[in-house]
Amino acid sequence: MKKNRALILPAVALGIALIVIAIVYWVEPAKSLPSFFPGHDSHSTTHHLKHGIAAFLVGLVAFAFAWFQTGGPRTKTATK
Amino acid sequence: MILASLITYPQAVLLGLLQGVSELFPVSSLGHSVILPGLLGWNIHQNDKYFISFLVATHLATAIVLVFFFWRDWVRIVKGLGRSLRDREIAPGDSDAKLAWLLIVGTIPAGILGVALQDKLQHVFASQKSAALFLCLNGLVLYGAELLRRRAPVHEKGDPDDRIARRVGWKEAAGVGTAQALALIPGFSRSGASMGGGLLVGLSNEDAARYAFLLATPIIGAAAILKLPDLMGHDGNGVRGQALVASLCSAVTAYLAVRFLMRFFETNRLTPFAVYCFLAGLGCLLYFVS
Repeated sequence: MKKNRALILPAVALGIALIVIAIVYWVEPAKSLPSFFPGHDSHSTTHHLKHGIAAFLVGLVAFAFAWFQTGGPRTKTATK
Repeated sequence: MILASLITYPQAVLLGLLQGVSELFPVSSLGHSVILPGLLGWNIHQNDKYFISFLVATHLATAIVLVFFFWRDWVRIVKGLGRSLRDREIAPGDSDAKLAWLLIVGTIPAGILGVALQDKLQHVFASQKSAALFLCLNGLVLYGAELLRRRAPVHEKGDPDDRIARRVGWKEAAGVGTAQALALIPGFSRSGASMGGGLLVGLSNEDAARYAFLLATPIIGAAAILKLPDLMGHDGNGVRGQALVASLCSAVTAYLAVRFLMRFFETNRLTPFAVYCFLAGLGCLLYFVS
């Protein structure tokens, strides 16, 4: 995987945004979600736990991607 | 309503045995769980909450069996993931780390599509006729993957995880992961879609099956764990005992199925499953239409 430091900031921003979205999914019932959110239902009081978990995990992957971009140039082979 | 009569113990045994096999064979477990009650005249419907809760237990059993079957692979994969995070890179030649991230990249689209579309698709395509039709199409997809495969079906030596990590790239991993979402439609097989995708990106049948099982484990396990509270709650009333029996049956057949398939695909193709899906789907379609 090629490293590109210019991607660090967008990846971190995306990670933060996704984790905020996850929290919104966990805290707000379906009827109170913004209308553009998948799962919004003006008549439902259920919480979309799975949507939140998915957003949270993808957010973590975005952070991991940013973390990879912060590393130095590739120098060695693996030692398992 | 008498809850104890929702699913009988003989039905639970049969459904559990079927689930364990059909979840891992590329023949669509969901399709079979929709079609079988219709063929046998059972008053069980795929979208009934108690039935979904019941199926959760069998899925969890299948996921646990997969984790234990590929336990050594998972230990290596998790260690590889840790190494890559520590070093902030996937070192050249570290196939365990590469495989770990391939599985993550493949799981993301399947997970997102599953969360977004599962309920809608399974309500739209809940009928036995549509499941039979899609089972037919699943047969064509499997056959098509065999026709379009990049690599001749030969038994390869060496570490299979190394071969997978070498031959599958990031885009291919995302593509194979996305293909898994086909299984949201009853009749299409998750393992069939990912095995077919594996063949298209250049894996052998054996490696495509291994990659499909590794890729399926987090999705099946996570979906089951997230639904487990339903089984423990109100929706599980009257089916918990049957679910336990079914999950034990499912675990036995899932173990036998994965063991059989890993040997079968050393030298064989998807074609027999393609033929089965096409003929079974066609037969069931004619039966339900008539």
